[in-house]
Amino acid sequence: MNPRALAAWSVSAITIALASGNPVYRVLVLLCAINVLVALRRPDVSLRGLTIALVVAGLIATTVTTLASHTGHHAFLVLPAGIPVLGGPLTIEAAFFGVSTGLGIAAAVLAAAPLSLVLMPNSLVDALPSALARTGAAIGTALNLIPGIARSAGEIRDAQRMRGWRPRRIREWPDLAVPVVLTALEGSITLAEAMEARGYGSGTRTHYSDMVWRRADVAVCVVAPAAALAFVLLRVTGAIVDWYPFPDVSVPPISALGATCCLALAIPALVWRR
Amino acid sequence: MMPTPTVAMTDFTYRYPGGLIDGLDIPEFGAGAGLTLVTGASGSGKSTLLRVFNGLIPHFHGGTIGGSAVVCGHDVITTTTRVLATEVGFVFQDPELQSVYPTVERDVAFGLENIAMPAASMPGRVAEALELTGIAPLRGRAVATLSGGERQRLALAGVLAMRPRVLVLDEPLSQLDEEGARSVVMILAALAGAGTTVIVAEHRLEHLGLLVARTVAMESGRLIGGSSRRASRLAAMPISPPGRNPVGEVAWQMAGVATGPGRTPILEDVSLEGRTGEVIVLVGPNGSGKTTLLRTIAGLLTPMSGRIHREPGRVAFLPQNPMALLHRATVAAEVAWTTRGDSPSDDAATLLAELGLAHLAARDPRDLSTGERQRAAIAAVLAGHPRIALLDEPTRGMDDAARDALSSAIQRLRSAGTSVVIATHDKNLTAALADRTIAVGAGAARELAPAAVA
Repeated sequence: MNPRALAAWSVSAITIALASGNPVYRVLVLLCAINVLVALRRPDVSLRGLTIALVVAGLIATTVTTLASHTGHHAFLVLPAGIPVLGGPLTIEAAFFGVSTGLGIAAAVLAAAPLSLVLMPNSLVDALPSALARTGAAIGTALNLIPGIARSAGEIRDAQRMRGWRPRRIREWPDLAVPVVLTALEGSITLAEAMEARGYGSGTRTHYSDMVWRRADVAVCVVAPAAALAFVLLRVTGAIVDWYPFPDVSVPPISALGATCCLALAIPALVWRR
Repeated sequence: MMPTPTVAMTDFTYRYPGGLIDGLDIPEFGAGAGLTLVTGASGSGKSTLLRVFNGLIPHFHGGTIGGSAVVCGHDVITTTTRVLATEVGFVFQDPELQSVYPTVERDVAFGLENIAMPAASMPGRVAEALELTGIAPLRGRAVATLSGGERQRLALAGVLAMRPRVLVLDEPLSQLDEEGARSVVMILAALAGAGTTVIVAEHRLEHLGLLVARTVAMESGRLIGGSSRRASRLAAMPISPPGRNPVGEVAWQMAGVATGPGRTPILEDVSLEGRTGEVIVLVGPNGSGKTTLLRTIAGLLTPMSGRIHREPGRVAFLPQNPMALLHRATVAAEVAWTTRGDSPSDDAATLLAELGLAHLAARDPRDLSTGERQRAAIAAVLAGHPRIALLDEPTRGMDDAARDALSSAIQRLRSAGTSVVIATHDKNLTAALADRTIAVGAGAARELAPAAVA
């Protein structure tokens, strides 16, 4: 799959997720994004951590909004007014609004997740335009260093522990931080030397592109942005009415056109195969 | 008539930025087709010499140059590294610090991009380099999943894609296991036989053997002649007969242990014990579980099943890159940091003297040469009276002096009653020190009979 096509899809999905507060459309975007992730993620990738993080984020969004909003006609609990920020009625309207906010966050994150969970780590950097190729190479190299630095930090931590290091005060943390930073710097210099030895530096640079545009890539790159554009136009013209739960919660309105735009985001899972 | 050498140096001198003395003083040096071996202790100038051939000296490291150095008709002083990269391929010591991109194919193409090769020509060159180095099946793999030997072959592929006439390698075998080292040497043999100028600086000479057309030895930045002294040192290292050292009580014990760094055990049903005054050597290829076993004995990994018992007392752990631990202002302070709370420092002074560091005790460890830093790290970790000492590939990248110092330190620990466990590929160290040898691999750890080790 072409990284630029996937990037176009991600931007389109995020646009739709954030263009309307209607939880129905956000759920549809979220389901399409989950579909893409499950169908196309790299075999070495686990979705467990992401799932847990999103559930936690959604709960936090719902809880914070419910506790801080105090707007709406249907209170289910009233906290003493003397409590700063939290004091006052806790309403069903605020809770639903919080749920919608959480869904928006989840949908946006899941729309962006394929860029790191489906593509190989450097594919997106490789997809940068030629004018940014040198910057992309530098960014890609820096990204490549991170796992090694993290591994080195773990090894140094273990070895210092074996030397009796038990940090109880902040001033003892340099016993870990200093060797980690120095080792990372030395590794960076060695890598820079290796890059220069392979001719990296000033002057014209070409680009090894194993990216091709297949029909499936073109389809994703056309359909997803078209769906996002259509959704925005429908919002702007009022054909899609937004949903706002205050002062009285109501059933979110659903437009067939709006739903179609959202469901069009399922296209990557239909045309691409891992 | 002698063929014109590909590499020629005349009255060449080099001084590092801020240096008080010359780092190189080479009246004459030449190399042509075939394999030239550069030997010498750490700090002798091997790496400095090699970096002249592709222009890293002076263009990356700076400094002051005198005389001339010509490589494939290019004056290295006036030619950019970008141009020299098309003639000279350079492979560094650490396989993990040469990959630029996270996938094999992409990384091989990096050099071709830098020299502005047309995109249409690149796939063929990439494929050719992958075939030459035998890693074509790894084409789509993530670099992080490769073994050390595979990563070093990837580094070779990355430079061979540019079809250099000269190939320079700075201790390419030092961090590889036997299989990895053999695979790299086979490639070098093919290239040297095909007429490429191959220049290798290396301590591990046992693999290069008959491939070497010419040997150059260095000391203090100067050439001192063409003989290899290492072969005689190999013969001179005493081999301890099995079971010669009386051992004491059990220092640590494992029963039915399953262990691994992730959720799946890589070693199962391991039952071993180590006794005071004993040296156990763990052997096995990279990835077999030696480090995992050491970390489990150390208590850094919790067994997934089974039980492990350690007698009270300090456990010393020497990791694969011990120099990364150095962070105090002086060598003496590093040793003192480890032994804080222990009884004092006579042993520390003895250890420093034994490792040839007594005159460097007040120096910043990161200002020392590589060999001196290695010994400082050994002193820092093994100081005091550890009950158990665990060493993970301690001779990686070591010169003879450091290896001898390490051997002495281990023998002293054994005599003092420490239970020593070493994971190593170094056959000479194993022969010289092992009371028992454990083979680690295929999910198991089993003791080898003495005849199997010889």
